[in-house]
Amino acid sequence: MAFDTFDPRMKTVAERALAHCRQQFGGNGLTVEQGISPAISWRPSFICRPTSRSIVGIEVAENLYPEILKVAAHDISFYDAPIAVYQACSLDAYQKDPKQSRVSLMRQDGIGIITVDEDGRAVIQHPAVPLAQHIPESRLESEIKALTAKLKVGFRAAYKTYLTNIGQGLQQAGQIVEAIVLSLASQAVKKGHISPGSARGPLADVIDELYQELRLKDHRAALGAARSFTKEYRNAASHPAKTAKQAAEKMRCCRDGFYESIETSLKLQRVFHAMNYKLTVHITH
Amino acid sequence: MIIAKRPVLKELSPDQIFQNPANPRMFFRPEEMDTLLASIKRYGIQVPISVYQDGDRFVLIDGERRWRCARKLNLRQIPALVQDRPSPLENLLLMFNIHALREQWDYLTIAKSLPDVISLFNSENARYPNEIELSELTGLTRGQIRRCKYLLDLPKKYVKVLEQELHLPKASQQLSEDFFIEMERSLKTVQNRVPAAIVDLDSARDALISKFRAGTIGNITDFRKLSKIATSIGNVGAKELRVRSALRDILDPDKRTGIHEVYAERFELQYDQRKVSLTIDSIFEYLEIAEEDEEAISSDLREKLFELKTRIERVLGL
Repeated sequence: MAFDTFDPRMKTVAERALAHCRQQFGGNGLTVEQGISPAISWRPSFICRPTSRSIVGIEVAENLYPEILKVAAHDISFYDAPIAVYQACSLDAYQKDPKQSRVSLMRQDGIGIITVDEDGRAVIQHPAVPLAQHIPESRLESEIKALTAKLKVGFRAAYKTYLTNIGQGLQQAGQIVEAIVLSLASQAVKKGHISPGSARGPLADVIDELYQELRLKDHRAALGAARSFTKEYRNAASHPAKTAKQAAEKMRCCRDGFYESIETSLKLQRVFHAMNYKLTVHITH
Repeated sequence: MIIAKRPVLKELSPDQIFQNPANPRMFFRPEEMDTLLASIKRYGIQVPISVYQDGDRFVLIDGERRWRCARKLNLRQIPALVQDRPSPLENLLLMFNIHALREQWDYLTIAKSLPDVISLFNSENARYPNEIELSELTGLTRGQIRRCKYLLDLPKKYVKVLEQELHLPKASQQLSEDFFIEMERSLKTVQNRVPAAIVDLDSARDALISKFRAGTIGNITDFRKLSKIATSIGNVGAKELRVRSALRDILDPDKRTGIHEVYAERFELQYDQRKVSLTIDSIFEYLEIAEEDEEAISSDLREKLFELKTRIERVLGL
């Protein structure tokens, strides 16, 4: 029998949460107390499959952020299909979280929360995102810490977009890298280090021109990083995923790309300092 | 305990294993499960669970928490000792003894199972076990059995309240088994000593529960003071009317009167005086011995007795 290991109160929470999820995500592929894959050390209380390419796993538990979700997070983020994770609990347990500390931790880790009140009403308090694409806000802030104020603003805006559309978010982050490279080229022209013609044309060509300039030879690692970022991630989001595996790969790619864009920007920013160039970027998004 | 054959160690899928309907354990606290789950994830199941075979499935004898964690962790196989199918009484007693030696069940779990043990013992032996036998069978002390009986005698609606509390994470629990045991014990004393103080037992329980929830009764140990108030007529010569009035104040849900304040304001002094009086009696007894045996008073004791004499004279204005 479904949920037979729960006490009557939690069984009600589980049943109401399941009914709510059935409405939200559809009943196709809904399974109760079954594993997602042998590769994942977690058997959710129930699983929904909103599309053929995505999975939502729901853990019914009264203690917020139970150990099993921490255990499973690693396996999930590397699994071949995007998995979003929710915890369903009573409204009482949610409200009793001291200073909402566990709730904040769950949000930070991309885990959603569904609550069920005394009357059996289920509500999604915080939505979940597939863990493969999740970037915690705290991590973003720590990554952009050393960037200039303007670049920070740019990346925060890109992050905001990323939260609702990972592809567009990565694209915006890529535009920041592009703007930095173009600024670098324009400064190099100003200082007479490269010709004006070299600062025009496709971005990859501009980077190649800068790479060949001997006065920038100490900064080839940064330029190389910009070149590989452009090659690897510029169009990562443009190809639609046809399978669950591709969808998960695309998510991981977008997340890695987003981090990479910040790291590349940081490296390029150091070139400006070292070469005494002025960093002027025009971020339009 | 008769488990005939040697158990066989097997690797079983958690899905082949089923809960034992006779397992008295009712509460699986999330925080304890979390700790066990983390350990199993890290080290695996180190101690096999115990099961018996029932057709093509296996029924748990011991290890429900490990089995639950294994299922949650989506483990494919877990080690299990397959034993002979025990008789219903053996099945139950096996679980009792396992838990008497290891972490203890909740008292309510035990309380709910004791009638089964008694009834199964009766059907096998054509008589009911006495408390000593019950203690030997279950591995529980007689004190534990008595505590369980308080819970066993609770009306259903309070058992339900307790069950709801026990399902909660420990930090969220307000009413514990100890609360109900101490409350019942003190109410029993009140009923025996001052029956007129309790008009309706459930109303008295409700009043005490709501006062405890509201913090008017600050501590479970306050119930011992409630017993002391009830026994004060015989113990310290308190007037029955005064005791009855104090108890009614405490058991009145509309009055914000706690046990501790009533005891401290109206009875504590009498109990202290009684305590001092008993101590004086004991000093008298010793002094009587000392009159015959000079060595009974050491120099340290002599000094203290002199100090006591001086203080007594000062307090009494002599």
